[in-house]
Amino acid sequence: MSELLPAEEIAELKRQIAAVHEPRELIVEVLQAVQQHHGWVPDAGVELAAKLLGLSPLQVDEVATFYDKIYRSPVGRKVIHVCDSICCWSRGAESVYRHLQQCLGIAPGETTSDGLFTLLPTCCLGACGEAPAMRIGDRLYGELTVERVDAILAEERQEAEV
Amino acid sequence: MPTLIIDNQSVTVPEGTNVLEAAQQLGIVVPHFCYHEALGAVGACRVCAMLFIDGPVKGMQMSCMVEAKDGMVVSTEAPEAVAYRSQVIEWLMLNHPHDCPVCDEGGECQLQDMTVASGHSVRRYSGKKRTYQNQDLGPFIAHEMNRCIQCYRCVRTYQDYCGGTDYGVLGANQRLYFGRFRDGPLESPFAGNLVDICPTGVLTNKPYRFTSRFWDLQEALSVCPHCSLGCAVIPGARFRELQRVRAGVNPEVNGWFICDRGRFGYDYVNHPDRPRTPLLHGEELPWSEALEALQQRLSELIDRHGSDSIALLGSGRASLESNYLLRRLGEQLGTAAPVYGSHAARDRAARAVTDLAAKLSASLAEVRSSDLLLVMGADPLAEGPMLALAIRQAVRNGGRVMLCDPRPVELPCSAEHLPCQPQELPQLLRILAAGENLPANLQPLADALQQAKRPVLIGGSDLLGAEGSAALLAAAQKLNSAERPCRTMILLPETNSFGAALLAGDGPDFDQLLNDMDSGRIKALLCLEADPLTDCPDRKRLLQGLEQLEFLAVLDHLPSLTAKKADLLLPTTAVAEGAGTLVNNEGRMQAFAQVFSPGEPLRFTGQGGHPPRNFSSTTPGALPCQAWAVLAELCGLPVNLAEIRRELAAKEPRLAGLPELSAEGPGQRVLPGNGASSSVPPAVATADESLQLLVCETLYGSEPLSALSAPLDPVCPHPYVLLQELDAARLGIAADDLVQLTAGGQQLALPARLSSRMAEGLVIVPRLRGTELESFYPGQPPLPCRVEKVSTP
Repeated sequence: MSELLPAEEIAELKRQIAAVHEPRELIVEVLQAVQQHHGWVPDAGVELAAKLLGLSPLQVDEVATFYDKIYRSPVGRKVIHVCDSICCWSRGAESVYRHLQQCLGIAPGETTSDGLFTLLPTCCLGACGEAPAMRIGDRLYGELTVERVDAILAEERQEAEV
Repeated sequence: MPTLIIDNQSVTVPEGTNVLEAAQQLGIVVPHFCYHEALGAVGACRVCAMLFIDGPVKGMQMSCMVEAKDGMVVSTEAPEAVAYRSQVIEWLMLNHPHDCPVCDEGGECQLQDMTVASGHSVRRYSGKKRTYQNQDLGPFIAHEMNRCIQCYRCVRTYQDYCGGTDYGVLGANQRLYFGRFRDGPLESPFAGNLVDICPTGVLTNKPYRFTSRFWDLQEALSVCPHCSLGCAVIPGARFRELQRVRAGVNPEVNGWFICDRGRFGYDYVNHPDRPRTPLLHGEELPWSEALEALQQRLSELIDRHGSDSIALLGSGRASLESNYLLRRLGEQLGTAAPVYGSHAARDRAARAVTDLAAKLSASLAEVRSSDLLLVMGADPLAEGPMLALAIRQAVRNGGRVMLCDPRPVELPCSAEHLPCQPQELPQLLRILAAGENLPANLQPLADALQQAKRPVLIGGSDLLGAEGSAALLAAAQKLNSAERPCRTMILLPETNSFGAALLAGDGPDFDQLLNDMDSGRIKALLCLEADPLTDCPDRKRLLQGLEQLEFLAVLDHLPSLTAKKADLLLPTTAVAEGAGTLVNNEGRMQAFAQVFSPGEPLRFTGQGGHPPRNFSSTTPGALPCQAWAVLAELCGLPVNLAEIRRELAAKEPRLAGLPELSAEGPGQRVLPGNGASSSVPPAVATADESLQLLVCETLYGSEPLSALSAPLDPVCPHPYVLLQELDAARLGIAADDLVQLTAGGQQLALPARLSSRMAEGLVIVPRLRGTELESFYPGQPPLPCRVEKVSTP
């Protein structure tokens, strides 16, 4: 389990879990910690979380698979979530999505061969006012156009190379 | 009681009824998936929509979510409502495969029925359907996720109602998946209910898979024979084979669900070694000659040795009517009253329980609505699994459970464990029965009892014994008052233990029979669906006694040890093959109807292939007769169940309601006994240095009928010995080590299991039939024993 979470982080999570009334409250936090260290949450990560929380692996996986920001399969170093919900759709999200697929040479759900980007759809980023929107890692990008997408991808690539 | 109008018909319903239930009362078929009587309503599936025309709510509403109120005018037939429902069902059907012809659910599929009822008959969607990988969910449940319509019933049943944690819902919106974390057997002993609850063919009965269509089955209302609770079941048979059991509905007992032992324990009925022909010294003979031989042999022995040379043995497996006619036969022959039960201590405990004043007896419905359950010396999951589920419902409704048991009793819900050494249990019972103050370490229990409004005291007759059971009843009586009702429920070993014990009255028990056999007085023994060679704890003495017999006659449907030794074997029918009455552990008489006639399953006679073409005028293996009918004939009485019930009710005033009993309805309580005699359980001799061996029933493998059921083979445990961790550490034993158990003059090598939750100084082995542990008997005081390590695995 050591490669999933360092011992001191496990100890800290145990402290937090002991302090809450209902361990289920912290399922997402524990899974996020695993994801932070491991890049995604493998089955062993779910089992580790279940052990820490005193729940069954199924009970943890119910939550893990509900959220599209918890990755249960391997992803690239940067995950692109493109909103395909109604506001973004009405403001041209489809062409942005198409363009991303062309630029990256991958279909939704796939990862670029250099392991940098994974492309995923998402249902609303809460950025309807800036539609169409996408998220790369923890960064939110709004008012997307085909040109802006090119620039963003270049910037993100550059950042990753540094 | 609100009165409302649905489809121009007026209906008055109890407060709290929802409009869907009100419409059903009028006989209106309302489509529904997420609503279920036992699970309640969540308003998620949207197919029970109705148009509310007048009253406190108006417009299109989900009828399961609206409480019926005065002045409501509702239409199920309004064009808007019809259109709404048909669109919703079309969405639900979008991804559903067109595989009804090969689906096991076909013909009893709620989705089929509701799709038709909602008016969706032509599929317009021609796109790709969502598909899934199925999981292996173990030996009981087949998984076919493509058929899922996301009603969530399975999760609500498995997790919420039954307390399972290994099956649930994964994913979100269009990629929902109902299953486990990974392939593997479902852990809950109530998993089989998923078959009944799934409205379509996602979760189906695996042992029954591809055997029959619903409409080809012979079904009837019956009672489960696999423990003393008497849950309602509906067995289904075809081709002379009992193929499956589904849950019946009895709101007073099991509600809508049953346990997996009850659902998959049926196969003893089809057992290939089952006695199917009358046998005299191993030779087949016709019934008429067999009965003649029996009568002749008995009268011969009576002439030679007197009528007290004949002993009769009834059982808690046989129906009330059969057990009664055995007594009747004894009266005619002038013998002593029958002994009811081959295990004297269990028989005495059951008799103590029948003394119960009926008003103090709790039904499972009362357990479900209790706010404090005191479980003392009972292991519900092993001794009466549906009681565990009832306890869980009480906890879900805010009730508390306090467990007092030297064993590591598990429940599918949270429970507070009170410290309990074996000797503390009788002490606690004595204090409760005497109404004295509880010791300081049990203060939480005293406080809980003080505050409880509807407490139920729960016990198990195996651990409590006759004295403990009587003390528990006395405690309930003491704690019961007009303002604060206190009820009690004691689990008994067999399906009709209560009925047999009631007929036994103050008659002889098996210990007396053994004495009489020792003295050489008994020359003939007639066993009615009893297997003393397996059940009597003193097998050595019994074997000696049997050697001295001149004649052993056995009526049974099991290939039992005693049946194999019989001079005369008369094959009887299993519960599903006959009619009769069983009395459950709360004293509820329940009639069961005949599902099918006995016969050798076509599967055997056809050797797995095409049905055989050797024609004959008789049905193979159809000779077993209902035990009560055989006994009625021996008594020279008309073979008429109704008449026997009338006669029995006239002779036993406590069974007064028997003639009116029907297989439909919740059954009827026997009339009150004399009330609990407040005898005090003897204090268990506090442990000397030696370990004490306790033999306990388990969920699978202990109960005699289901132990012969092939579908349960994969879940039957292998023999093991359970040790308290501290004792094990002292003895240098680790989990899975092979240890030698020495007790009762026997030595066995068994793998060790460890528990931190059981009492120190105690060693537990499960009662497992057909294994080397068969010679250890439950319902006995603990045996001194020795445990030594043999090897590490």
